Amino acid sequence: MLNLQSLTVGYRNTRGAVLSGIDLSAVPGDFICILGRNGSGKSTLMRTIAGLQAALGGMALLDGEDIASMRPATRARRIAVVLTERQFNPGLRVDDVIALARQPFTGWQGGLADDDRAAIADAVEVTGVEPFLRRFFSDLSDGERQRVMIARALAQTPHLMILDEITAFLDLPSRVEIMALLRDQARQEEQIVLLSSHDLDLSLQLADSVWLLDDAGGFSVGTPDQLSHSGALGGAFDSGAIRFSPERGRFEIAASGVGCRREA
Amino acid sequence: MSARVSTSVAVLIAAVAALALLTLTYGQIALPLADTLGALTGTQSTDLARQIVLDIRLPRVAAAIIAGGALGMAGVLMQALFRNPVADAWSLGLLAGGQLGVALTVTAAAFAGPAAVSFLTLFEGPSITLAAAAGVAVAALAMLALGRRVGAITLLVIGLMLGFTSQGLTSVLLHFAARAGGRIYGGWQDASFAGVAPEALPWLSLPILLGACAAVATAKSLSSLLLGETYARSLGVKVTALRHAVLAATVLLVAPVVAFCGPVSFVGLIAPHFARALAGTARILALLPLAALGGALLALTGDAIIHAPWEQHFLHLNAILAIVGAPVVILILIFSPAVRQWR
Repeated sequence: MLNLQSLTVGYRNTRGAVLSGIDLSAVPGDFICILGRNGSGKSTLMRTIAGLQAALGGMALLDGEDIASMRPATRARRIAVVLTERQFNPGLRVDDVIALARQPFTGWQGGLADDDRAAIADAVEVTGVEPFLRRFFSDLSDGERQRVMIARALAQTPHLMILDEITAFLDLPSRVEIMALLRDQARQEEQIVLLSSHDLDLSLQLADSVWLLDDAGGFSVGTPDQLSHSGALGGAFDSGAIRFSPERGRFEIAASGVGCRREA
Repeated sequence: MSARVSTSVAVLIAAVAALALLTLTYGQIALPLADTLGALTGTQSTDLARQIVLDIRLPRVAAAIIAGGALGMAGVLMQALFRNPVADAWSLGLLAGGQLGVALTVTAAAFAGPAAVSFLTLFEGPSITLAAAAGVAVAALAMLALGRRVGAITLLVIGLMLGFTSQGLTSVLLHFAARAGGRIYGGWQDASFAGVAPEALPWLSLPILLGACAAVATAKSLSSLLLGETYARSLGVKVTALRHAVLAATVLLVAPVVAFCGPVSFVGLIAPHFARALAGTARILALLPLAALGGALLALTGDAIIHAPWEQHFLHLNAILAIVGAPVVILILIFSPAVRQWR
């Protein structure tokens, strides 16, 4: 159970608060997509919920405990993250990367026990990364790398999984596959999956619930149907060039012709 | 520990022991293996053999093993901390920083007067180790600050340049120190294991032992730092505390090497790659013993070559290490996927 209580996220510098006074809750099994344009605060919100960034106000509770004041080791057992950050990993192989997910559960040496191995084996199977387990992580394509990081997050057996724009590097079939996988994972393992995406169509089809961020710091929550009919989706994304069509449940190019003229 | 790692450890221990034994048998005077073993075990041997083996050759061989091991482990720590495959105490200028620390201390003592010099000489072991530690720590902090701003290869070039600068300064400082009456630590600007006196061995090994313990203690958290700072934090690692601990371990491992053996090049850079190839993993805890043994083997090999019974003693340790090491670094720069990503 995830509860956000008048959570305000942002930065302590001149940028200030990005989103204010968010009250929300999510239950295990929820597959939630966070949608919004670049700069609307998706990443800031996710980093704050993950406990990687301090909130400016309010708090985020996971199973009744304040995430920000959890011991780092406890938090690591309950929350897994996948980010788009490109990292430089000398000599790290794919199996090493996935095994690192078990660190919060292992002793000081980091040796794997049977249940650790089982969690890793499950994650490997579900994500289909078996063929490149022995390859160097830095040799993988962007898509393969993203898959491995998702396998790593699954192997962490978290209560809450936070994934920031992970589908950006994937082709369409892989995107569908990964999003469906995460949704099934949420249902079967009773996890809360929080995923930010630019993939509007796909998110609207798969999400149980959508958190929609507009450019002005506004925040709306609902099922995909509710949001499309209330006009909130249009409000967040419509520009001169595209417009949300509630009837068809998807975005359409507003300008006539292929050229997509810009309106004055 | 996986079977692959333990087998490699066993093979390396045997190789180090065999090479050490071989090195003890030769030099100006060749000793039969039986006499050498006899001297080592304290059974049937001549006084001369015992003197040569125990007082002259053994401290040198022990210093090569200990210093090589320390540099190998420090290399593993630094490559993980900087996430840079060409990082090591030598290439990033830590050794040169340590030398500069010693040179500054000696110069200060020389200008302060004979009392300060004799104080330094009296507590030679701890005083030069501390001076080196200060220099190593300053250099490490500077490189860590820089490492956040520049790429892996730029950092390597800057490290080498700062190393040259520090060594130049060291040379100039020691010259003035000698003229002001502080004629100590003369021929130490070149790397060598031969200058380590038997009574200096505890001062060499004690900090290194502590550093090795610290390295082992930080190994698990440091492995997760290979994924980057954010992922490490998401895995429950306190990154700032970890950085400090790894830095402290590196200083403990490297400072005594600089203080007693000088700027031993390439060992710490190559040993971790060797360890990763043998281990088939980048887990720090698996790499530490392999890199220590690999570093010891490499240092010992260099020492064995320069002390082979040549007609004259003319080879320098760093010359041999460069002949072996530089081509390996070039191969790493060309073929390492991690480096390719940053070009």
